[in-house]
Amino acid sequence: MPPPGSTEETVIFEPVGGGTATEERPPPRELGKGGVAIRTVGELLITAGLVVLLFMVYEVYVTDLFSAGKQSEASSELDGEWGKDRQLHPELVDGKAFARIHIPVFGADFNFTIQEGTTEAALEVGPGHYKGTALPGEPGNFAVAGHRVGKGAPFNDLDNLSSCDQIVIETQTDFYIYKVLPYKDEVEGWAEGKGAQPKCKNVGTLRNPNAADGGPYGETNGRRIVFPTKGDTVNPVPYKDPDILPKADQVSLLTLTTCHPQFSAKERLIIHAVLAQQVPKNQVGSYAELLPKISEAR
Amino acid sequence: MYGWIWRKLPGPFAVKLATAVVLALGIVALLMFVVFPWLEPRLWFNEVSVQ
Repeated sequence: MPPPGSTEETVIFEPVGGGTATEERPPPRELGKGGVAIRTVGELLITAGLVVLLFMVYEVYVTDLFSAGKQSEASSELDGEWGKDRQLHPELVDGKAFARIHIPVFGADFNFTIQEGTTEAALEVGPGHYKGTALPGEPGNFAVAGHRVGKGAPFNDLDNLSSCDQIVIETQTDFYIYKVLPYKDEVEGWAEGKGAQPKCKNVGTLRNPNAADGGPYGETNGRRIVFPTKGDTVNPVPYKDPDILPKADQVSLLTLTTCHPQFSAKERLIIHAVLAQQVPKNQVGSYAELLPKISEAR
Repeated sequence: MYGWIWRKLPGPFAVKLATAVVLALGIVALLMFVVFPWLEPRLWFNEVSVQ
């Protein structure tokens, strides 16, 4: 450290000066006006680059911290709500949690509350339910969107799911166990192939063998990549007209959507799962009790 | 620019350094807590839903 009152020249050579003159050299010639301007532009560009880097750090890590706080708040609020009176139908309030998603293959502690609505504010807390789509367990399509990068990234690993993997939706009264539908390349020969495994119990292809295009569910595979404008992904019968089947004939589906590829919003990664089992909570009280039972069935 | 700011900072080296660090942290905090949260919803790459 130079003594106080050292000459200004010494001070200029402190490394804060923008990266020039770090080695000991004879003092450079005074910069002209142009030189100063160029140096300033350079410094501004470096600063802009640092800000962009910082924004990346914010997106990928800092939003996780913010969301973790909101998620745990929503989770304890939901627990409090469920501790009160039993309701047949959850009360849907925009941005408020009404259910919980567990994905056993992502770990026993993987769980997020599901909020009503897919607004940015709702998705900051955790996955969000597409308004107007079916509720857990109902015939139709219970559709949920979630972030893949930052904001807790609940759906970070959706691309690691395979067919027949379980996705458990917990409501106040029940556990709904959905299983990922067969992937496109597995549909053919499903019944004799993977579909025969015990873990794939109650999972069919949903195809109509008599229809050339597979019937109403002909396009519903376990995983799909679609463009963001494909809003019919969350229709009661995915990719089909909302009136194609009466409600009584609709299968109970679960659809998860997130961005694809990771770090991009060019497309959407879609997971379709079918309701395989319903376990009322008066039989199995908690997810911790449920987990070993459904693991045996795998 | 940075040289100019450095020269404007008052006090001996240690004080200048401390002020500079505080300034830098302040700017980072401003970005993290005010600017980025404001900016983010206006960008396109956070969309995860279909419509």
